[in-house]
Amino acid sequence: MGDATSRLRQEAEQTPSYGGRGVRDTTEDFTSASSQLQSGQLVKDEFFTLFEAVGALEIMDPKMDSGYVAPGDTFDAEFDPASGLDMTEVLWIMDQLLCLEISWHDGYPLSQTVFTSLHIDRLLSPDQENRDPTFYRLARPPSNLSETQSLGHQILRAYCIGLIKCCNLALLLIQSQNYYEEEDFVTHLFGRELLPQVKGDQASWILQEAQKRLGEASGISQDVRRALDDRLKFRSEYLNTLVEDGSNRWEDMKSSMDSIQSSHDLARPVTDAFSEKVQRQLATSTPPRPMLQISWDLACRKWMDLCQDVVLAHRLTEFSISSSPACLQRAVWAFAYRGEPCALARALLQDLLFNNGGVRGELSHYDLLLTDIRDLVLAGDPLTDPESFQVEVTSDPRHICSRLIEGFMDKAIDEYLNLYRMVCQNRCRIRRTFTQAIPILDALESEAQQVDAKLSAAASSLKIQKKKTGRIVTLEPLTSWTKFYKLRIMTWAVQLGFETEIYLPDELGKMYWYLMQLSRQRSQLIGDIDEYTSLRKQHTQEKNTAAECLTAIQWYQSLYDYATITTLLSLALWKLYTLLAHTNIIIPPKRDFAKSQLLYEARMKPFLSVVNDSVPRHQDFEDAGLQTDSIESTCKDIDGSLKAAKSLLAGLKKLTPEQGRFVGTEDEWKKEIKQLETTCVAIAVATSQLLMASGKYGQDKLEGVMECRPEKRYHDWWVVPMLKEKTAITK
Amino acid sequence: MSAISNPTGTPAQASAYLTSFLNKTLHIHISDGRMFVGQLKCTDNERNIILAMTHEYRQPSQRDIRLAAENHEQSGGSGNVKVDMKKRFVGLVVVPGKYIEKIEVER
Repeated sequence: MGDATSRLRQEAEQTPSYGGRGVRDTTEDFTSASSQLQSGQLVKDEFFTLFEAVGALEIMDPKMDSGYVAPGDTFDAEFDPASGLDMTEVLWIMDQLLCLEISWHDGYPLSQTVFTSLHIDRLLSPDQENRDPTFYRLARPPSNLSETQSLGHQILRAYCIGLIKCCNLALLLIQSQNYYEEEDFVTHLFGRELLPQVKGDQASWILQEAQKRLGEASGISQDVRRALDDRLKFRSEYLNTLVEDGSNRWEDMKSSMDSIQSSHDLARPVTDAFSEKVQRQLATSTPPRPMLQISWDLACRKWMDLCQDVVLAHRLTEFSISSSPACLQRAVWAFAYRGEPCALARALLQDLLFNNGGVRGELSHYDLLLTDIRDLVLAGDPLTDPESFQVEVTSDPRHICSRLIEGFMDKAIDEYLNLYRMVCQNRCRIRRTFTQAIPILDALESEAQQVDAKLSAAASSLKIQKKKTGRIVTLEPLTSWTKFYKLRIMTWAVQLGFETEIYLPDELGKMYWYLMQLSRQRSQLIGDIDEYTSLRKQHTQEKNTAAECLTAIQWYQSLYDYATITTLLSLALWKLYTLLAHTNIIIPPKRDFAKSQLLYEARMKPFLSVVNDSVPRHQDFEDAGLQTDSIESTCKDIDGSLKAAKSLLAGLKKLTPEQGRFVGTEDEWKKEIKQLETTCVAIAVATSQLLMASGKYGQDKLEGVMECRPEKRYHDWWVVPMLKEKTAITK
Repeated sequence: MSAISNPTGTPAQASAYLTSFLNKTLHIHISDGRMFVGQLKCTDNERNIILAMTHEYRQPSQRDIRLAAENHEQSGGSGNVKVDMKKRFVGLVVVPGKYIEKIEVER
C-alpha cells in the first residue's frame, strides 16, 4: 500500500497539472492568422506526414471520438455499482463477466470486454481517492443495504477482484511466451492497472472469505446459493492455478464450469451494469467500439475448450511422451490442430515445454536434442551414448567425439527448439517462421558437414563395410539429421501454403509437383539412414544395440512409407491439376504484370536460398506444367498412384504407437490416416469424372462444360478439385 | 524564442506566425468543455488543428464530486474537497476549428 501511495504521489508530481507551467491565451492572434492562410494551405511540421494525419482521431465525431457525449446524454453511466442487488442479479453479472473474459482470451481488447463492467471500472478507476488494497468503495456498502444485499456486494467484489487478478496473471504468462500482438491477443490496458497492489493470494483469500460468508448466510434459496458458490469456486480454482506454480486445477475447472453452465437460468439480467461509456475514460487512440456480445452457451464452450486444451497440454508433455522427441513433436502438432487454441492455452504449453530448464522441468533440452539425434541417425551407436559424454581422458575418441557433438548441439539447439515453439503459434505464423528457418537449417547443414568430417576421422563406427559387396558406407550423421529436419520444414512450408490458401487454383499443380520432389528427397534420405542402421545391426555383437537398431528401423519404415504416400498423392494431384489446366477447366486469372518467371520467384522465394540441395529452376517448373501423355493414360497413372498410396496407408494402420512413434496421439494418427484415405477416394472420383466427361464430349470441348467447384478438403493439406458438369440452367 | 506577435497582412506573415507554434504544447478548449493538451503538428485556414501526444482533460462529473465528498466525509476529513480534472491519453487527434473556443500556448 505504501508503494502505491508513494508511486501515485510521484506520478502526480511528474505530470504538471493543467496550467501548472503557465499558459498564454493566443486565441485571437491564432484565429486571425489562420484566416489569412489560403484555402488548402497547410502550416505543418516538416516531419509530420499527411499519411500520419489520416490516423488522427477527429474530435467531436461520434464515430471517431471515444470522449464524445451526444446532446442529452450523460457522461457517466446511470448505474451505480454501490447500489443493492438481488442475488440473482449478482449471478447474472458474474456470468456476463465470464462471457467477456473469454472473449478477451479470444483476442478482443479489454475495452470492449471486461472493462465495460461498471463494477470492474469502479475497482480500477484511477479517480479512486482511496487506493487501500482491501477497502475499495465497493467494499463499503452504503448503510441502506439489506444484509443479503451487502453479502451480494461482498461476493461480487471478491469475484471481480479475483477476475482482475486472473486477467493480470494470464496476461503476464502470455507475455512471457511467444505470441503475436493483435493477431492472437491484445495486451493493451488502456492506462489502467490490474490491481498491482493486491497479490494473488490476497485475492484468493478474499474469495474464500466470500465463499465462507455465503455458506453461513440465511435467507438465500438453495439453488441460488449453490450457483453463487460454484462461480466463486471456479474463480478460486482458476486463480490458484495461475498463482501457484505447477498446480493444475483445469480438470476441476471443467466440472465447475459444467455446473455453472446449467445454473445460468437462475440469473436475472441487469444490462445496465455494463456500459460502453467506460471507454470515455480509457486511454486509447482508437475510435469507440461496441461491447462484445457472445451467447452464454458459446462462452461456456470456449471456457471448456480452454480448460480441455490446457489439460491436454499437460498430458501431451508427460515424460512417457517427451522421452521420445518424435512423439513429442507429433504431440505439439496435435495440440496445434485442435481448432485454434487461444493465446493463453498456447502460452501454457510453451511454458510447460520451455520453462524451468527443460520439458516440464524434468527433461533438459540438450537431452531432448541428443535423444533426437540418437533416434534419428545414430541408434545403437556409442557416439550418442550419454556415458561417452562422461569420458574425461582427452585422448579417448569418445571424449573427442562428445566435444564435437556438443559443439554442434550448441549451434543447433535454438533452431531445434523452434521446431516445437513455432508450432505453438497461429497457423499463418507457423508457415512464415518455417520459411525463415529454411536458410538457417541449410547453413547448419553446412556446419554439420564439417563436424561430420572430424567425427569420421575420430570414430571408427561411422564407416561400415557392406558384407555382400565389400563397399564401405560412410554415414554423415549430423548432416543427415540436419537435412532431415530441413526437408521436413520445407515440406511443411509448402503444405501449410495449401492449408492457408496462398496458391491460386492454376498454381496448385506445380506446387504439388514441387511437394513431390521434396518428399522424394526425403524418402531417399530416410532410405540411406535405414540402410546404414541395418548394417550397424548386422555388424554388432551387442544384443541391446541390435534391439535398438531394430526399433529404429521399424520407425524409419513408417517415416519412409509416410513420405512415399506424400509423393504418391502429390503426383496424383499434380497430374490431375495439369489435366484440368490443359482442358481449360481451370483457367489462370488474367495477370498483366505477373510473368511466369516472377510467379515462380514469388512462390519459390523461401526455397531459392538453399545451397545444399538442388532447387527446381524456372524451366523445371514450366516443364512440370506440360502434358505429354494422353488423358486416358494419365488417368491410369493417377489411379496407379492412388492404389499404391492406399496399400501403404493400410500398412501404417497396423503399426503400434511405439513402432510409429505416435504415443499419446493415437487418435490423431488414426484420424489422419482416415483423412488421407478419404483424400485418395476423392481424387479417384474427380479423375474418373474427368475421364467420363472427356469420353462424352471429347477432350478439347470440356471448357465451359465442366466446372471445378470450390474444393472440399478431407485433410487441410490436400486440395482436391471437385468436378461437376455444368447444368443447362447455369449455362 | 519569443513568438512573433500581432500578425498583420500577408499570408506569408500569417504562415510564419503559425509556424512559430509548431511542436509547442497547446491547450485547446472546445465547446463541450473539454480541453486537449498536445503538440501542434498541423493547422490550416479553417483553424483545424492536429495535435500529437495529446491528453484529454475533462471537468469532473457530478458523480465524481459526490463520490469524492462521500469519501472525504467517511474518512473524517474536514474543509474543502479537491477533485482533479479527468485526464486520459488519446494520442494523435484532429480538433475541427468550428468547435474551438480558446487556444492557449504553454510558455
